[in-house]
Amino acid sequence: MIRQSWWKILAVVILLYTFLAGLLIPLKPGIAEVTPRALQAGTEVELTVTGYNSYYSKAKNELRAWLKLEGDVVLKAARIEVVNDRTMKLHFNLPQYLPSDSKDDACSLILDSPIDGAIVLPEGIALTQDSVNLLEGKKLWSADKMDQLNVGPKLTFPYRSVLYETIRNQYFHVPLWFAMIFLFMFSVNFSVRYLRKYDPDADLRTLALNRAGFVFGLLGTVTGAIWAKYTWGAFWSWDVKQNMTAVALLIYSAYFILRGAFQDEEKKARLSAVYNIFAFAALIPLVFVIPRMTDSLHPGNGGNPAFGGEDLDNTMRMVFYPAGIGWTLLGFWIASVAYRVEKLQQKLLDA
Amino acid sequence: MNFFTQIGILLRKELVLELRMGYAISGILLYVLSTVFIVYAAFFQGVNSPMLWVTLFWIIMLFASVNAIVKSFVQENGARQLYYYGLLDPLAVIVSKMIYNISLLFFLSLLTWAALAFIVGNKVEEFSAFLLALFLGSAGFSILFTFVAAISSKADNNSTLLAILSFPLVIPILMTLIKLSVVATGMLEDTGVGKDIGILVAIDLVLAGLTLVLYPFLWRD
Amino acid sequence: MIWNRLSLVCVLTLLFQQMAFAQQASGDFLRSIGHIYVVVAVILIIFLGIVLFLLYLDRKLTKLENQIKDNE
Repeated sequence: MIRQSWWKILAVVILLYTFLAGLLIPLKPGIAEVTPRALQAGTEVELTVTGYNSYYSKAKNELRAWLKLEGDVVLKAARIEVVNDRTMKLHFNLPQYLPSDSKDDACSLILDSPIDGAIVLPEGIALTQDSVNLLEGKKLWSADKMDQLNVGPKLTFPYRSVLYETIRNQYFHVPLWFAMIFLFMFSVNFSVRYLRKYDPDADLRTLALNRAGFVFGLLGTVTGAIWAKYTWGAFWSWDVKQNMTAVALLIYSAYFILRGAFQDEEKKARLSAVYNIFAFAALIPLVFVIPRMTDSLHPGNGGNPAFGGEDLDNTMRMVFYPAGIGWTLLGFWIASVAYRVEKLQQKLLDA
Repeated sequence: MNFFTQIGILLRKELVLELRMGYAISGILLYVLSTVFIVYAAFFQGVNSPMLWVTLFWIIMLFASVNAIVKSFVQENGARQLYYYGLLDPLAVIVSKMIYNISLLFFLSLLTWAALAFIVGNKVEEFSAFLLALFLGSAGFSILFTFVAAISSKADNNSTLLAILSFPLVIPILMTLIKLSVVATGMLEDTGVGKDIGILVAIDLVLAGLTLVLYPFLWRD
Repeated sequence: MIWNRLSLVCVLTLLFQQMAFAQQASGDFLRSIGHIYVVVAVILIIFLGIVLFLLYLDRKLTKLENQIKDNE
């Protein structure tokens, strides 16, 4: 029993790990909000910083903050006033001139704390000056240097201002696609076997794998739509990948309808096997080629960089790759149960 | 008989049948003309944007192609199939049908273009690019529809089945074609036309290859 | 059987309406606490989807069991 179903146990263990790690590991501390966002040179300003997952009170006297302009020019905060863990006030004495040759510039805010680590709010704050004086500006801004920054907590997921906690969907929404593709791949494999040996068993396996793959695809679309609503603003944004998956679901619905169109078992099995192979081949450009060539909101497609580097850091990889394996195994488990039901039905029909 | 003579004979047979049953081809022609006229009447403010023109063009083409191709298997029922089966190579049958349908659809697309240009107005500026799009489009449509028609001809309710099975499959081809044709109208600068052509050629080749591999399994009945 | 399905659809629609209403009433619930409830919703949907598939298999098996009983 255990020898046969070791992979099911593996699926459960991996998914348990996915759920625990994927839901319990906190996000990296980040900057949720800074007000005001526009500063005037030559004034004394107070920035109110709202943190996310931050511990400002704990780090109190060791907190440091800089405004950073292009070319590593920084201005250190004159005074930092911690209100509570999530709020603090930064006081800057902005010099009369900016080290910039235009009236407007943008700067980033960098916070450093021994507990939260260094946090950057890139290009988030606008600076304006009344008159331009590049040389004087450079002189005024050269006093401060950014010194050794702290490294934050190690075991965290990246903080992204649009995604927030939904970055965890990476372990629940994305692996559904992996599972779907693998299920469809195996179903094609069984279709080929059917056409070679006319083995009715292979046809039942194809059917079961396609059913499970279809369920996963449907779930992927629905969960994707919900995630999209809260990051891109609409359930359906006519993104290439969304359209392509809708088409993929239509293609596989057609497979089930095709099966229903035949009474004769042999004919049904043979024609649906042929269609299945054809459909999978048509699916490959849909899923792998066209999204990569068109602009897309999804990462890794068109103008967007792939999930990698900052977005998929090592901690996320530690959860994401097992999650892919776990969900795929679960898909095969579901497919195998569906297959056994089909098989039983077949036996009863034959008897 | 070798493979190529078989193809030649089958092609001639298709042509003779088509001409003898004149109503089939003239029906398709009338279909195109009346659809174009409906488009003209429905868009009473005129089809001004090239994007709309191109989209309408390909939608008319899509339905005209389905109608043109569905009969290529319907007209050949049981007994005649059996006759071919004893006599011919299945590959010759499907290849000849594909070649015939490609030329039929290419002709049909030229006709649709002419009708649309005459009634609604021509929006195409780069003729060679549009001709290429027409050719790749008719090749893609005919390969796909021929194969799916071969599947659905085995079922009873085959024209509905043809639409259900082939429309989802045709969407990637259709989207790439529309992109390519919009470039041919001169509305967009050609950014990545080569890639689009590449995608279309690749899809056409993959579908054609699979049709050749899989048709022998459909054939046997 | 069709009534079962219909009532399920009705209940789900009502539930979603309630959720939408609650959302309007209390700011945006799904956006609170760093959008964590979006993750909750995604996980719930996956769970529900798998349960529905299980239900489908269950009904099929019940039918087969009855058939076996009849055969005996």
